[in-house]
Amino acid sequence: MAASSDYTIENMYDVALKPRLLRSLLKEYVPDLKHQFRNPPVLSYVVSAIKTHQLLSESAPLESDEKLIENWTATVDSWVNRVVALASSDTPDKCWAGISLLGVTCQECSRERFLASYSAWFNKLLLHLQSPEDSHFVKVATCASLSDLFTRLNGLPNAKKDGISFSSKLIQPLLKQLNEDKFDAVWEEAVFLLCTILDIFPSSIQRHYDGVEDAIVLRLISGKCSPSMLEKLGYCLALLPKSRGDEDSWLLMMQKIMLSINNLLNDSFQGLEKETIRTEAMRLLLPPGKDPPPPLGGQSLSRETADNKMRPEHLQISRISTLIFCCCKLLTSSYPFQVAIHVLPLIALTKRVLMVDGSSSPGIAYMTTMKQEFLCSELPVLHSHTLDLLSSIVKGLGSQLLPHVGSIIRLLTNYFETSTLPELRIKVYTIMNVLLMSLGVGISAHLTDVIVNNSLIDLDERGTSSVAQQKIYPETTAKTSHKKRKHASTSSSLEEQPDSDVFEVEMCPTVGSLSVKIAALEALEALLAVGGSWRSESWRVNVDHLLLVVTRNASKGGWAKDGRSKLVSEPTTMWGNYQIAALRALLASLLSPGRTRPPHLSQGLEVFRRGSREIGTKVAECCAYALLALEVLIHPRALPFLDVQSTDNKYEVGNKWFSGISDRAANITFHIGTSKKAPDESDSYNDDLYADWMRNSEDSDTVAADHGNDTDKSNQPQATLGDPSSEKLPSLDTTAVKDSKSSKLKEVAPNTVATKIPMDRDEVMAESQLSEETSKHSEEILPSKSETLASISSGKSSFQSSSLVSDGNALNPTGSEVQAEKLVLGAKNNVVSLGSEKFVDSASRKEVAEASDAGFASSLMMNVDRGKELMHESDNESMESIPDIVDVEPDSD
Amino acid sequence: MTEQPELVIASSPTDAGIGCWDLHTGAEHLRYRSCSSPSHGLTCIGGRFLASSQSQPHNTKSSSSGSILYWSWNKPQVEVKSFPAEPINPLVSNGEGTFIAGGGASGDIYLWQVATGKLLKKWQAHYRGVTCLLFNDDQSLLISGSEDGSVRVWSLIMVFDDLLRGKARQPYEYSFSEHSLKVTDVVIGYGGANAIVVSASEDRTCKVWSLSRGKLLRNIVFPTIIDAIALDPGEDVFYAGGRDGKIYIAALNAFANPNNNYGLHILGFLSEQSKAITCLALSMDGGLLISGSEDGMVRVWNTKNHNIARIFRHAKGPVNNIVVVRQQSLLSSRGSVNSQVSSVKRHGVSLAPPLEKYANSTDENDYKAVIGPRNDPDRAVEASYISIQTLNNQILELQRQGSSSASEMEIERLKLDRSRSIQMIQQWEKKFQTLHQFCVTELLDGEQAGNA
Repeated sequence: MAASSDYTIENMYDVALKPRLLRSLLKEYVPDLKHQFRNPPVLSYVVSAIKTHQLLSESAPLESDEKLIENWTATVDSWVNRVVALASSDTPDKCWAGISLLGVTCQECSRERFLASYSAWFNKLLLHLQSPEDSHFVKVATCASLSDLFTRLNGLPNAKKDGISFSSKLIQPLLKQLNEDKFDAVWEEAVFLLCTILDIFPSSIQRHYDGVEDAIVLRLISGKCSPSMLEKLGYCLALLPKSRGDEDSWLLMMQKIMLSINNLLNDSFQGLEKETIRTEAMRLLLPPGKDPPPPLGGQSLSRETADNKMRPEHLQISRISTLIFCCCKLLTSSYPFQVAIHVLPLIALTKRVLMVDGSSSPGIAYMTTMKQEFLCSELPVLHSHTLDLLSSIVKGLGSQLLPHVGSIIRLLTNYFETSTLPELRIKVYTIMNVLLMSLGVGISAHLTDVIVNNSLIDLDERGTSSVAQQKIYPETTAKTSHKKRKHASTSSSLEEQPDSDVFEVEMCPTVGSLSVKIAALEALEALLAVGGSWRSESWRVNVDHLLLVVTRNASKGGWAKDGRSKLVSEPTTMWGNYQIAALRALLASLLSPGRTRPPHLSQGLEVFRRGSREIGTKVAECCAYALLALEVLIHPRALPFLDVQSTDNKYEVGNKWFSGISDRAANITFHIGTSKKAPDESDSYNDDLYADWMRNSEDSDTVAADHGNDTDKSNQPQATLGDPSSEKLPSLDTTAVKDSKSSKLKEVAPNTVATKIPMDRDEVMAESQLSEETSKHSEEILPSKSETLASISSGKSSFQSSSLVSDGNALNPTGSEVQAEKLVLGAKNNVVSLGSEKFVDSASRKEVAEASDAGFASSLMMNVDRGKELMHESDNESMESIPDIVDVEPDSD
Repeated sequence: MTEQPELVIASSPTDAGIGCWDLHTGAEHLRYRSCSSPSHGLTCIGGRFLASSQSQPHNTKSSSSGSILYWSWNKPQVEVKSFPAEPINPLVSNGEGTFIAGGGASGDIYLWQVATGKLLKKWQAHYRGVTCLLFNDDQSLLISGSEDGSVRVWSLIMVFDDLLRGKARQPYEYSFSEHSLKVTDVVIGYGGANAIVVSASEDRTCKVWSLSRGKLLRNIVFPTIIDAIALDPGEDVFYAGGRDGKIYIAALNAFANPNNNYGLHILGFLSEQSKAITCLALSMDGGLLISGSEDGMVRVWNTKNHNIARIFRHAKGPVNNIVVVRQQSLLSSRGSVNSQVSSVKRHGVSLAPPLEKYANSTDENDYKAVIGPRNDPDRAVEASYISIQTLNNQILELQRQGSSSASEMEIERLKLDRSRSIQMIQQWEKKFQTLHQFCVTELLDGEQAGNA
């Protein structure tokens, strides 16, 4: 490759291609000084070619030919010369092209080249910013290129000093530009440049702090900015405190903005709110006895802009909105210093605005209908921005908001009741979403009612019947058991409604209502994720069902195709988003643990399976993820203990520390039954599921039969219990048990006694786990429990007790023991249901059940062993809550 | 390595200071002086600095007030001393390090704001002394254990908001009273509302509670009193350190062989014939278990093969607190400590002010939220270059008819063209005249020559 690289190009990745391509670009497309520049759009092609092939990077693989690299360097040299020459051209279009390409060069050229020539380039660009006669087109390009130059400079380690001195040189002409220029395009780029400098070299603006503030504020309040312009200006103003780099300038900026908002609100809300609210707001912002800060942006706010054609009300509200936007930026931008802000004034401000709905309360100052009308037309915008502020407060303050969260919840709850506009409802849902995510379980209980109530209304697809549904819910929130029954009936009535009724839905709701639905679904999803199991009995059934119905309806007309969205009008994508929001919420409802196995699991799976067939769409992506997540619900698994032998031990310490203790380590004994592995163990060891299946089928007769045998050697209760399973099941470890049988009986003994006690506790636990009816039932059992156990322990034949253990599979004891068996079995059932609730997967349920089976067995066996001497003791044990170790040595040998 | 090293910090009730070791290399860092902490009294505030409540020497007369000390990472001396109204035993801060909660010997819980030292709330939580405190994983609940045997779950929102508390039947979310003796340790698992709480008590049991139901899920009886628990991150097992010197492994989600020798749900134990285990901690990934013992040793166990990986010697007296922290920046490279500190100082984030003894003001407006310094990581990654975008926009504008700035540039260009053309014409004219002159002269000269 090396020898012939000058002439042949191997492929599109070949380094030899790059200088050639660059040269031909220079020759054919880039304008030169002599010829006319007829075709500006061609620059776009030039730039994209440069970016794609990295023509200016001058980075070749190490083994490349030296000549080739020289060639490339020379070509880039000529490129730079051409671009710089163009930038000094007096023809505006060539000059523009040169400046733009210089910006691209700043971004794309090699680090060495940039370091060598950035100051020359800067001076060239600065010249254009200073000269007043350049066209706006050139100025815009200059600002953009300068911004790129500073951005590149930021990445270089030793250029900080230069960067600061450059940017201080730049500020003066830039400010002049801002104050004189009226063109939005120039402003936008100039403000972007300002932001870049504020971000990278903030200290260089320090001296012109007030000037920048004045210029930006003047523009902000002129009421003539485009939304994107407003965003940039707000961002720039919020970045400004960075230049002084201290808390005070931030606080001062915040206070100034808040006071300006306050003054504007006082004007606008005249006649709409009580006088006390105003004085209170003022007191919070400016504690009595303190001097007010200088007004924001010098005097510019009070100065009336003469050329304004807008109504004063409109102008005022738009100014307030803009200033609120600045507040948001101040709260959410990042600063290198720490800031301590008073939270209450911020919350009071949001409260003040959200309380005003345009109704003039009687007894307050007179206001014309005209003014009211204007104000009402502007209020939604104001509310929307205020909700943004609230959202920024929540995001910016995080957990520090906790002392005020209560009042925010009340504010939002009240606001939700009256607010009907889609845009505002969406924002409230979003704030609740953020609150849930940032404050977790603690807040979910307090937001549940409001989210569930409102989303039931918003998601209701039956239109007119919504009032009825509204009525249903308040009853279900009640927590007494009496009402619970009622709740059950309402939920069943919801479910019993014939599907045909529910499916008679208008298929194309308006975009506005659809986006509210999406927000409601997202809020429900967050609620289910965070607090789906936190005291959820009252609402889960309804919400789970609702989400299934909503998702089914959403999918009824087919799934949204991503590709189509570009051709078809907007609602299609909105519909797609709605479907995805519904699917995600349904997934959350299925995954979030409830009292029972999710009732709609199979229907939900069906929906997800259908969705996953829409290959390549967002819907399919979402459904595939849902199926993966739900798989655990279908095939629950409890994984066995870590397998030591097979995992490489990354914590093995091979240094002096370990050798120092190795002597001692040799003496350490470990007693982990499951961690030892017999050499002949079958592969099924790790397959817990398999073991479960196996156990299920063999269990009953195995245990029954073996216990029959075991009674003879009942002096070794542990070993006999261990034996049957280890013989029948390859999955269980035998060595450990045998070990213990032979050598560790002494250690085993106290533990064995202990196993008896947990049994009693497990029962108690089981009862507490049950839903109310069942627990009532088991309460009936409770009093007699101690008797039962006593009777069993005093029971004559161990054969009988083993038949109890084996689920009554074998013989039926007679007389009083029949009753005893029932009771014990009842308790056992409780244990089983306990498992199902605690860990959703049913494998662990089986485990728990089995563990408690074994517990039963051992405890019963123990009782039998110890016979009558222990009878009174076991009596006591079930009553006492302190399980003490029994000192009696249980092993009779 | 960009990851911060994991540090083990340990303290003891005798004045042995706070020991600090790198968990993975075993290197010992600074030993912070003059700390004698009660059990659960050592904590790390948001990874920024260390704090410990102090056990009260019985002989001093000033026993009416307690004390809480702060150490910065890079200085062995106590940096900040606070004197709360009564002796504080357990001390804990939330994950961000914005709030610090202390449990008093009287059963009161104190909640301070770290950044201002302001005592935000104080409430009667238990009838007897609080023994342990912790936040749940989303930091919205506070869980306390007490000498009276109860474990209570508090919602911070309720704690702060009087109206919400007024509406509720009781000030706490749950009160678990199944333990009959002093609660010695409480841990909570992962998973928001679905988390489990495990508590240990002097009644020789550990109890597993469901947070969402507020009910007892499992009761595990140990042969000895359990003083410390550590919950495996995967929550298949938990470790319980007993007074008999053994660390028991108890099953939660793991497959427990019901026929083993140790008791229901107990899988086995780790033991090195040490004295009583007083505290336990796990490394962040759960691979290492760190135990503190009454013999003054800190042992690091490999949780996979149950071998001892390291032993740190802390003191002659007992160790009673172990915390594993991922410390923020300062210690990681000793060389840069100074520059780091100075930058920290400059930005005003040195250690926090002392904690208030009493709630000074009832004015709600006094509460200030402190937004810490943040840096924008994505700013550096995706530095935004704009000239290409601007160029393309301008080209679009050029192509559009009637754009003012585009036409302005066009006019400029045409003006320049015009002036250049005028220049050209003038040149041509001049040349023409010179030529004309030349011709005329030539002609006249020729004629004259001819005539001659």
